[in-house]
Amino acid sequence: MALISVDRERGLLTAEFQGLDKLWTLKSRLEIPLAHVRGATHDPGIAREPKGIRVAGTYFPGVITAGRFRHHGERLFWDVKNPDKAVVIELADAESYDRLVIEVDDPRATVALIEQSIAHG
Amino acid sequence: MGRPRAFDTDQAVSTAAALFAARGYEGTSVDDLVTATGVHRGSLYKVFGSKRGLHLTALRNHLDHEIHPTSAAIATLTDPAQALTAAIASYDSGPAAGLLLLAAAERAPHDPEVAALVAEGITALEDALRPSHGDAAPRLASTVLGTRLRLRAQPAAPKEH
Repeated sequence: MALISVDRERGLLTAEFQGLDKLWTLKSRLEIPLAHVRGATHDPGIAREPKGIRVAGTYFPGVITAGRFRHHGERLFWDVKNPDKAVVIELADAESYDRLVIEVDDPRATVALIEQSIAHG
Repeated sequence: MGRPRAFDTDQAVSTAAALFAARGYEGTSVDDLVTATGVHRGSLYKVFGSKRGLHLTALRNHLDHEIHPTSAAIATLTDPAQALTAAIASYDSGPAAGLLLLAAAERAPHDPEVAALVAEGITALEDALRPSHGDAAPRLASTVLGTRLRLRAQPAAPKEH
């Protein structure tokens, strides 16, 4: 589980990992420039997709997926125990990850927060 | 830049538009989109950024390929009754029939970008009815939208041939 916040003035999206998730993911927080965020989607089904190769972190299938993974040449960051609350955040090429898959408390609110903070088109 | 796309973007957008038009935005999951388009999840995210990004693209596409051409055709009719009948029969139809109407009801109140696209579609309809109805065009546009909504609400008639 992570707390996701957006600081429009600094143009930054922050994911703050809660409790033991710091340990599972080997991260306490991720900071991403908003300009590199392409969108957010509530996507429970992504948890059933192949995870690829774990680069760093924790993977117990069906229990927890956390940390850095590589799948089909893409770099993904996961922090999901409950797939129902998984949000996919797509990032632009310049970032250190192509995609974040993060469990949040309120997926609908998180998606709205992120999508409202970025421009499509 | 990047890996070449292994799928037809236009085809994926059309399929997604039909799905959104049939089930609504919330009623369409990423699983549904992956299954219907046959495109890998990662590729969908890479190209469209998010489900909302894909929906906005589908709506833009529906405006460009359906709403605007239909409106242009209606605008060529000068007979008021004929123009109104044509608008009721053809506006917001095609493979993703009702996508605009549904977006207006479901998404526009919460999403300014959707609201802007919906407004563009409604303005196109008003402009299309102006040659035949003059100042009454906005009122007639509301009639067209209302009639399209009523038609959508009718239980599907058994197919005849």
